[in-house]
Amino acid sequence: MLHLIDELKVIPGVMGACIINSQAGLKVTNLPAVFRPERLTLVGKHLLKLYSVGRMNFDDLTDITLNYDESVVVARELEKNTLIFAICDPTFNQNLLTMSFNLLHEEFKLGNFTETVAETAAPAEAESAISLPPIEREISGSLQNLLAEMKALLGEILGPMAGFVFDEVKDDWVEQGAPDFSRIEELIEQLNQEIDDQDKIGKYRQLISSAIESFQKG
Amino acid sequence: MATAKDFVERINRIAGVAGCLLVRNDGQVISQTVDDNEVDSALLQISSGLARDIMTNVGFSHCHYISFNRVNNQTFYIFPIEKYLLGITQQADCSVADMLDQVSRLVGKVSTNGAKTVA
Repeated sequence: MLHLIDELKVIPGVMGACIINSQAGLKVTNLPAVFRPERLTLVGKHLLKLYSVGRMNFDDLTDITLNYDESVVVARELEKNTLIFAICDPTFNQNLLTMSFNLLHEEFKLGNFTETVAETAAPAEAESAISLPPIEREISGSLQNLLAEMKALLGEILGPMAGFVFDEVKDDWVEQGAPDFSRIEELIEQLNQEIDDQDKIGKYRQLISSAIESFQKG
Repeated sequence: MATAKDFVERINRIAGVAGCLLVRNDGQVISQTVDDNEVDSALLQISSGLARDIMTNVGFSHCHYISFNRVNNQTFYIFPIEKYLLGITQQADCSVADMLDQVSRLVGKVSTNGAKTVA
């Protein structure tokens, strides 16, 4: 995968690129070391959110470009929750980069990245992926209904970003342990951190309380 | 700035602009020439917030604009202007560089000076 994004650096003005996944984090990067991996991961997550909100308005969205004083960031979704972005000088050749993204995207869709993705994954991430028993990730049907209701109600608090935020938090919650009702407060606490407003946290608690009570009553 | 309506009308007259809207950074629509259903004002609000977060993380300074490129070539642009956000839909067949140059020039001349915008 690295050699494919290395080809992007040949384009005049392109400093480098990286591929990010909302769950696995930073997959690969060839940007200069000054762009630290943890910062690139954060940038990638913001771009994934931006892409998600853009997609809600434009079904035919291809790329997102952010034009800053010093640099331009160009992002393209490769598949759901996986995105490539390049950081460029303001004078870069956008047409050439778009064409390269198109070719790279085709390669990705053909599955030509699969093997190399595993090879380039950070060791810690690879280990954690292996150690998670898949059975522990299964969510019961009734709990899924409750989660769907909580997700819909979050829309009344966070608006259009609610679905994306909920899915992201829920995925983290599932990764952290068995997804059963005994851990529901942990999920709510993580959602509260995303809401980040005491009034809205209180309102969300009120909204979901009847759904939780109904679930407990069976 | 002059009245928000004047500003939006001037932006709308630029060759290559299919429509535009001006919203306050709290999401309230001040003036618009695009259909209500075409673009959600929350898109402008959320996008500018995320662009600011990226700016802080990487250490960039000012964000000139964000663009959402589409298959139908009607790119949508967001220009942060102090406490306001200008959204522009581009015509599919136009000189993008000329349009962006004219929009940027007009945006550069505008200053809200923290004043309340008159619709």
